[in-house]
Amino acid sequence: MSASPADLQDRNRHLTDLLHACAQGRQAAFQELYKAVSPQLFAVLLRILRRKDLAEEALQDALLSVWRNAGSYAADKGAPMTWMVSICRYRALDMLRRERREVSLDTDRDGEADEGEGLSDMGEGAAEASLISKAEERALDECMQRLNDGQRSSLRLAYVDGCTHEEIAAKVGSPVGTVKSWVRRGLESLKRCLEAA
Amino acid sequence: MNYEGSKLQNLLAGEYVLGVLRGPARRRFERLMMESRSLAAEVAKWEGHFASLALRLKPVEPPDYLWWRVMARVRAESRPRGERMRNTFWRTWAVAATVVLALVIVTQRVAPPPEAKPAQFALMSDTKGMPLWLISVHPEAQRVDMKALASNAPPAGKSYELWMIPDGGKPVPMGLMNETGLASETVPPELLARLSHAKALAISLEPQGGSPTGQPTGPVLWVAPLVAS
Repeated sequence: MSASPADLQDRNRHLTDLLHACAQGRQAAFQELYKAVSPQLFAVLLRILRRKDLAEEALQDALLSVWRNAGSYAADKGAPMTWMVSICRYRALDMLRRERREVSLDTDRDGEADEGEGLSDMGEGAAEASLISKAEERALDECMQRLNDGQRSSLRLAYVDGCTHEEIAAKVGSPVGTVKSWVRRGLESLKRCLEAA
Repeated sequence: MNYEGSKLQNLLAGEYVLGVLRGPARRRFERLMMESRSLAAEVAKWEGHFASLALRLKPVEPPDYLWWRVMARVRAESRPRGERMRNTFWRTWAVAATVVLALVIVTQRVAPPPEAKPAQFALMSDTKGMPLWLISVHPEAQRVDMKALASNAPPAGKSYELWMIPDGGKPVPMGLMNETGLASETVPPELLARLSHAKALAISLEPQGGSPTGQPTGPVLWVAPLVAS
């Protein structure tokens, strides 16, 4: 359900306008921005953090950071949504690091930590992916398809689920060293492929 | 920069974006990114490449109360810096004073009929920590009192409207605030029951006579936790 390039451009321009207004302290613009982006960002955070309470905390922090730093957004940081997704992901990764330290490496985040309603049906595919162009999406898909299974799932588990090398290794049942090289090789092939596209 | 260098740089940027670069290495990388434009550009490029994986996740509506919490923090941030500094003092003072004041006001107005004391109250303050509104919930009397503690008139053609922020679900309109003195609203038992579980109250700026939609339409000016007395 990707949008046409024109829609996407409008959408990005609109989000940029809202960020610009936020930078001037306009709270009404922030409210509109919140409505427009929070469900997608919340989905990203739930997927990584797997706990509703943590995802809520992260979303709060991330959006506050968007509000504070709206003025520093610029096109060289990517599309507005890409920029906001990154703020959320890095916040979530920081929180995971903190949690891990506190919970002394909970080996299987898949099992009991998987609480909270609605977390199970966070399938992919249904998103209103009007936030990224079809061409970019297709390029990534095609290049991901060219990777071997180990590389592909390692990259996905790292990016989408926020897994460490060790967690990926445990999930796919391969040695950590292998996973590390899958990630590196995967990145290298992906870069070559994307640049050729 | 030589080829190997830029290749390594690209790889590290990718690992940083994926999140597998951890610990001290991650912090070193962040430090390097601050002074290297090309490194920051590599990172932005990877972020852009991978973004579609994140944007493909099915959106999940966050609970309504999250918006109010975020807004409360934005409002606190939006104050001028100096004012915020002074606030630390005022806030400490105000918290103590608030409880005393709330009890005084509440017991005072309850004095004549031996009517039950309020079950919950919320106090909203201005940016200097001075109390503006006291809202108290009186379940036995099926009544919510909204008292203006200072004169605080809305702009011409506007009204202040009170909202309950339930624990899950949309804000529920609770009535309009009087600019001065007391306004009371009779509240049905179902609503009182919800109030007893509500986390916070908020006041928004609405067109005169209140929100036309049944949901806040204007900026949220004050938010305060609803505490049991």
